[in-house]
Amino acid sequence: MEREMVERENPMGVEEPDPITSRSMSGALLIASLVLVGTLIWALYDEVYGRRPWKAMQREFVERYTAYLKRVKPRQATTEAALKQSPEYRKLEQELTAARQAVAPRLREIDRELAEIERQLEAIRPVFQDARAKIGALTYEWEVAGSERAKARKMREIEEAKRGPFRVRLIAADGEGKNEEWRLTFDELQRRFLALQERKAQLVSERARLLEPVVEIEKKMNQYLQDNLVGLDQKQIDGLLRKMETFKIELKQIHVQDGDLVDRCISCHVGILEPLPLTEQIMGRKAFVSHPNPALLRIHNPERFGCSPCHGGNGRATTNVVKAHGLNKHWLWPLYKPENYEAGCVQCHFRDRVLEGAEVFNLGRDLYELKGCVGCHRYEGYDRETDALLEVRKTIRQLNLERAENEREIRRALRAADQATDDREARRLYALAETLRVKNSQIADRLEQLELQAKYLMQDQKKVGPNLKEVRLKLRKEWIPVWIENPHAFRPTTKMPRFRLSREEVQAISAYLWQTALRDPLPTQPPGDPIRGRELFETRGCLACHSIGEGAQTIGGTFAANLSRVGEKVNYDYLVRWIHNPRERTRPYCPNERRDIGPEDYAKRGLPFRFDLNHSKCPSCGSEMQVQQMTVMPSLRLSWQEARDIASFLMTQRRSGVSYPPAPFMDDPKLRARGAQLIRRYGCAGCHEISGFEEEPKIGTELTREGSKPIEQLDFGLLAREAKRQGWYNHKGFIENKLRSPDIYDRGKLKAPEDRLRMPNPNLTEEEIRALTTFLIGSVNATLPPSYYYTPDDQRKDIQEGWWIIKKYNCMGCHTIMPGQRSVLSTLPRYQDPDWKDQLPPSLIGEGARVRPDWLARFLENPALSETNLERNGVREYLKARMPTFYFSPNEIRILVRFFEALSAQAQPYIEPKLEPITEMERALARQLFTSPAAPCLRCHMTGDPAHDQKATAPNFLIARERLKPGWTARWMIDPQAISPGTAMPSGLFRREGDRWVFAGPLPEAFKAYPGDHVDLLVRYMFQLTAEEQRRLLAGTRTASRARPSGMRLAVERPPSRRGGT
Amino acid sequence: MRIGKSPLVLVLTLAALSLQCGKKEEVGEAPKEEGAAPAVAYQPTGDEGTITGVVNFTGQPPQRRRIQMDADPVCAQKNPSALSEDVIVNNGKLQNVFVYVKSGLEKYSFSVPSEEPVLDQNGCMYRPRVLGVMAGQNLKIITSDPTNHNIHPTPKNNPEWNVNQPPGSEPIIRSFPRPEVMIPVKCNQHPWMRAYVGVLRHPFHAVSREDGSFEIKGLPPGEYEIEAWHERYGAQVAKVTVGAKETKQIEFTYAAGQAYRPGSLRLMPALVLPCCEKTMARAAK
Repeated sequence: MEREMVERENPMGVEEPDPITSRSMSGALLIASLVLVGTLIWALYDEVYGRRPWKAMQREFVERYTAYLKRVKPRQATTEAALKQSPEYRKLEQELTAARQAVAPRLREIDRELAEIERQLEAIRPVFQDARAKIGALTYEWEVAGSERAKARKMREIEEAKRGPFRVRLIAADGEGKNEEWRLTFDELQRRFLALQERKAQLVSERARLLEPVVEIEKKMNQYLQDNLVGLDQKQIDGLLRKMETFKIELKQIHVQDGDLVDRCISCHVGILEPLPLTEQIMGRKAFVSHPNPALLRIHNPERFGCSPCHGGNGRATTNVVKAHGLNKHWLWPLYKPENYEAGCVQCHFRDRVLEGAEVFNLGRDLYELKGCVGCHRYEGYDRETDALLEVRKTIRQLNLERAENEREIRRALRAADQATDDREARRLYALAETLRVKNSQIADRLEQLELQAKYLMQDQKKVGPNLKEVRLKLRKEWIPVWIENPHAFRPTTKMPRFRLSREEVQAISAYLWQTALRDPLPTQPPGDPIRGRELFETRGCLACHSIGEGAQTIGGTFAANLSRVGEKVNYDYLVRWIHNPRERTRPYCPNERRDIGPEDYAKRGLPFRFDLNHSKCPSCGSEMQVQQMTVMPSLRLSWQEARDIASFLMTQRRSGVSYPPAPFMDDPKLRARGAQLIRRYGCAGCHEISGFEEEPKIGTELTREGSKPIEQLDFGLLAREAKRQGWYNHKGFIENKLRSPDIYDRGKLKAPEDRLRMPNPNLTEEEIRALTTFLIGSVNATLPPSYYYTPDDQRKDIQEGWWIIKKYNCMGCHTIMPGQRSVLSTLPRYQDPDWKDQLPPSLIGEGARVRPDWLARFLENPALSETNLERNGVREYLKARMPTFYFSPNEIRILVRFFEALSAQAQPYIEPKLEPITEMERALARQLFTSPAAPCLRCHMTGDPAHDQKATAPNFLIARERLKPGWTARWMIDPQAISPGTAMPSGLFRREGDRWVFAGPLPEAFKAYPGDHVDLLVRYMFQLTAEEQRRLLAGTRTASRARPSGMRLAVERPPSRRGGT
Repeated sequence: MRIGKSPLVLVLTLAALSLQCGKKEEVGEAPKEEGAAPAVAYQPTGDEGTITGVVNFTGQPPQRRRIQMDADPVCAQKNPSALSEDVIVNNGKLQNVFVYVKSGLEKYSFSVPSEEPVLDQNGCMYRPRVLGVMAGQNLKIITSDPTNHNIHPTPKNNPEWNVNQPPGSEPIIRSFPRPEVMIPVKCNQHPWMRAYVGVLRHPFHAVSREDGSFEIKGLPPGEYEIEAWHERYGAQVAKVTVGAKETKQIEFTYAAGQAYRPGSLRLMPALVLPCCEKTMARAAK
């Protein structure tokens, strides 16, 4: 067919041309060879430049850096020269000259003598060494000689050799004098050599001693230049310039064997480790900057940590920026964006709740807890109590099994022993039974501890949201559905997220909660004084956690709820009880029986309806119950009147004219089952206690390793293509968008309501989204070996653990714990006033060095430091802010005490240092100092006199002994401003005189002869102060000052005019 | 011919291309070192002007209270009839108002005067109560009392310190490195003691005297914002242009009932929620 066609096309029958002769392949060949040559050139180019972009980078860096150094050098030279002209430097120079001149004559003598010794030594040394070697060899031969005769012969040889004579030729010192020659025996030679050596050592050390002051001044001069010269000096700059001259263009990398880490980032980022701060502005290229946080590099030495463990990216890739930064497809660890830098911390610092200096990390960690993410999503480290509780319960079960098994074994052994035929065998079996019995007693010890642990852990277990079993007592009924529908409309900053609920769903959930809630009666409360309540609210410390006011008017902390509209929703009687003690529960919950235990259960056993931390056993089954509200809110130990006043004030916090439609559906029993279904589906019990849902598991996915989940497992829904196009098809993009609008990946999908995404909207700010995203994308499967993890097991571990508790209860709302950190209270407008500054709770920096651990434990347990007088601060009664009772379990107290001890690097356990007992004479002296008008101690410190104590600004000396550590007390007295800047106690009370501290004011006569250290005396006096002695003191101040204002005479003993209690 | 040329072109192109790629950007211009040029040191020209004026007070001034100094009998004895000094009004003129040039002098810098203003602790009160210094200028703090004092400035922008000064001790000489209006100074042992130090970057300030008058001399001609600051009545600003050798008169007027006290229990501005005041009043009844 085809042929036919061809033939038809060639009808003329023209002769076909011969393809070999008439066609040329040269065109094709030419093209092929051109392509070949092109490919070769391309390959060469690619080999040299294309795949090695760092070469050009390095060349460019050297050029720019050299130019910069050259530019800087003369400027640095001028400043250096100017510095050298400064009077201080000049003075040092003069001192140097003077010091040099002072030692010059002796130095010359020494140098002359040394030269002479060296001349002699040079002559003697070879001769002596030869001789010694020779004699050493002979001695060895004598030692190994076989016969007595041979030994004798050798001995003769040795003596012969020792006689010498050895010739030492001394070349004349000046080259002109006569050469000397000594002829010496070996002993003489040795003596002379050793004498010379010794003299030389003497002279050298004397020389060093002489030069000490000179060296000291030289050091000072260098230090002066270093201190005052910003940047590098000439020598250093020259060094850098030389480095640039000899710079080799090559692949540069950090290789860490441990972890098989290869990071070639420094091949392009050549300047990253330079000592000069290089900015983009200086270097003209962002890639050439030096590391902006050199302090961080000092902790994380790049030689060991490389770059990619913190920054992400692909450390081995060098061919282009996209690959090196790990932004190519399928690479799991892309370079973190600047806003997420601190994601790099999470991998190794997974145990840390707080990292000093890592603010985004810390905020992310905070939000995960505060916003209740933890209610649905497990994350290792959070929920410590629940996890530990499970573990403890498991161990208890195991130990009980082990104990039972031992019991059986004992019985078996005893039976066998009784019937044993052999005494030895019987003894062995009896011994075995005994061992097991003792083992069981050990198990009993452990079990006791574990049972306690279980109790404490239950006590420490908290929920993010309030207990919804009490809604009937607490809330206005109609408010509930309004709130559930959209919490942010009522309170924009609330931690309760907004669920996407239909009206029907809202009604069902409200109905369930309302119908299952407790109906116990609540005592009615008389009204309080809202004006006083407001004052209390503002000054007791409520604002450290809570905020009040709306919009720009908001003040206070973000840890707990904003109370601006609380009056619209809450029942006054309940609020009073809550403020008086938020941990007070209506009914205890028994996890074993899975129900709330009421008075009827107690009555069955004939017990009074009484439950608290000391009465926490279930009356029916005897197991530990939840006897407190699972809130972190502490008791401020307010009186009932104060609680009523504050509640009355809070009841005024409402918008006027807001009405809530009636909600009859809440009593509709038909809705109840549907409500339960929805509560389970939305995981409400993750944050709340809800009747029937006490043991619900978390409904969300675990996020501990979220950052390294394969991207395909993140469901972008229909947005995957769009995400790829817009460049956010990665973990960062997924999480950010999810946090912004949690239902975003349902968009465009047709789903049944129960299949829709459940995550509610947490209403986060962009900053909060950034922090949470940073935290979550950093939560990866570690790529590094465990040796990199920050999991210390020394005191730093105590610090790590302590932070979890500090953050759990928001201690930083009132206290400064980290240097540079400000408490929430200290930022409130009220505390800007100089008078109110003294009303701030104390800074806790150095708390571990300040107070005794046993005291601290007691204080944390009972901050009133009294069993009867609870409505006060135990230490600082004058503070209006109240240190609350947190009902810490002994577990948490231990963690906190260890935390503070560790922060101050205190040795544990604490052993009280012995103080020299105070003598009568010293007591009289100290008393005089305390009562002198020049000494202000008793003016500010509490004394037990109620009128005085109200205006006091410092604690009572009486508790010093049981509370303080003497070393810290002395340091505090000398310079309190160094320990707690801005504190009411002034520095400069003592001045240094020789090797002791002396009171800086006019001294009482008798004191002038006292040779001891005044600070030490006062510390000892304070630590041995008794109530009796203090009363004498107080009487003394009054008499002394009344009689003669500037009088320094000894206090006259008088009965105290006023005494605090009996 | 055509054939022979092509590879050459290709090679040349590639060579050119590689050169292009290898070519570096020009090394960037030397970066700008500092921001704006620093202010020029001011040289007196003889054309300097003066601002004088008076601070008026309208309405009924608050009664001055007796200060209870019982806490320290030495003070009570030395100064038995001390009166509060936060508001002192004589014949409708307000004393202790700090008047200073708030803006208009940015282009100049001024050398720090060598004289050291004195802050005396006398009768357990600060003398004067209000004073101004230049940043870096030494302040000399002396004590004339036979009792112990401590000097505790509580600045916002300067370092805070708190130093003890026993009777008969050497003067404490200190300076504040940064401008700040005003720094309250207190004595923790005598809570009634209070002084205010205004720290400026220039020497042009005054404190209204008993008759409410003040005078700022030696001002370079120019346009200024003059601020008056009073511890209870807050700040007021006046604009004024001073010509060469000119003396300009300005007046400030404070009215009774405008006093504010940051941090006072009853009035915390941030907490005033208009909707709730009435409710609270009602609830109080």
